[in-house]
Amino acid sequence: SDGAPGPGHWDADAAAGGLVDLAVPGGAFSGRRAPCLKNPVLGPGVLQAIRIFHTRQPSLAPIPCVPEYGGKVCLGLIPKEFFQFLYPKTGVRGPYVLGTGLILYSLSKEIYVITAETFSAISTIGLLIYVVKKYGASIGEFADKLSEQKIAQLEEVKQASIQQIQDAIDTEKSQQALVQKRHYLFDVQRNNIAMALELTYRERLHRVYREVKNRLDYHISVQNMMRRKEQEHMINWVEKHVVQSISAQQEKETIAKCIAGLKLLAKKAPSQPVL
Amino acid sequence: LQLPSDLKVAGQKLALKTIDWVAFGEIIPRNQKTIANSLKSWNEMLTSRLATLPEKPPAINWAYYKANVAKAGLVDDFEKKFNALKVPVPEDKYTVQVDAEEKEDVKSCAEFLSLSKARIEEYEKELEKMKNIIPFDQMTIEDLNEVFPETKLDKKYPYWPHKPIENL
Repeated sequence: SDGAPGPGHWDADAAAGGLVDLAVPGGAFSGRRAPCLKNPVLGPGVLQAIRIFHTRQPSLAPIPCVPEYGGKVCLGLIPKEFFQFLYPKTGVRGPYVLGTGLILYSLSKEIYVITAETFSAISTIGLLIYVVKKYGASIGEFADKLSEQKIAQLEEVKQASIQQIQDAIDTEKSQQALVQKRHYLFDVQRNNIAMALELTYRERLHRVYREVKNRLDYHISVQNMMRRKEQEHMINWVEKHVVQSISAQQEKETIAKCIAGLKLLAKKAPSQPVL
Repeated sequence: LQLPSDLKVAGQKLALKTIDWVAFGEIIPRNQKTIANSLKSWNEMLTSRLATLPEKPPAINWAYYKANVAKAGLVDDFEKKFNALKVPVPEDKYTVQVDAEEKEDVKSCAEFLSLSKARIEEYEKELEKMKNIIPFDQMTIEDLNEVFPETKLDKKYPYWPHKPIENL
């Protein structure tokens, strides 16, 4: 794409060679602003509505770059083009000779009169040349640095905004990627539902088993208990009757027999100490 | 904690999808994290309970009971009824809701996707514009105003300082 960010406002006539003051950068500014300064009564915006500049189609040719250095000059005053112009006729020394001749002519003919002003002019110009020669470069560098700072700031802003836009694009892309994973949410829910249902079913099966087993076990334990109770009751009943059936006479005889037997045992083992 | 995709369980096929918990954590917005965590803990609890509970209950030893229970016919009766019993499978009303929700979500996601694409296109256009501006040292103030419209000076104060003196 061409360097012009839009239709070039100021160089509409450059291609056609219209406005002469385009050679000076910002010259068109003065062309545009001039009406504002000449007529202070009308506000800045109003006049531009009335005066019609740039009625031709704006040319889209790339604008020439702002020149970095001015044209080369000799003696700080006379552009080198003049020397080039005289070179074919008079050689290298021609312009200098011309200059010297003109100065001497003006002095001798008193076209230029030497007054007190001359000396003040000489000292002023001498001082100026001295200052410019000595400090010109450094002042230029200082000014360049200021302008560079401004440009660096703008660059930063540009880079920051580019970075911002890039980040926004990346965020959008990552969010798009996340959209792909949304289904996991619903998978989890469905899994949960399925597992819960399965769990309920299994619990029901287990419960059925437990209940049936409980009932059967209950019957068995009831039976066991009944049998035990019957046994105990029978034993008690038998014992009671046996004890009842032992008459007093039999009891006496049995006790006498037991005592005789004990005596026999005592005789058999007399040396056993009683502990 | 991931389950294999199919468990043949108690007569029905349990079709569980494998879940990537990392992705699950990513898609949850910040204000719903607690709900998501509860969902996850439900899932874990259910899987652990499912793992501990065996598939089928152990078989009842009918021969032992037949031999020991005195009441005749009780055990036979129980056995017959037990074998005839069909435990009802709990019916699933909720998967339908989840599916409906998912459909809605897919729709809204598609909408979001298209909006997001439109936004990306705008951003890319701006990016192109930013990348193609002329180098700053060849710009004029008007070029600057075109690229960064916020630098445009207010028409009310065209002369320096571009604000009323009170605001200096």
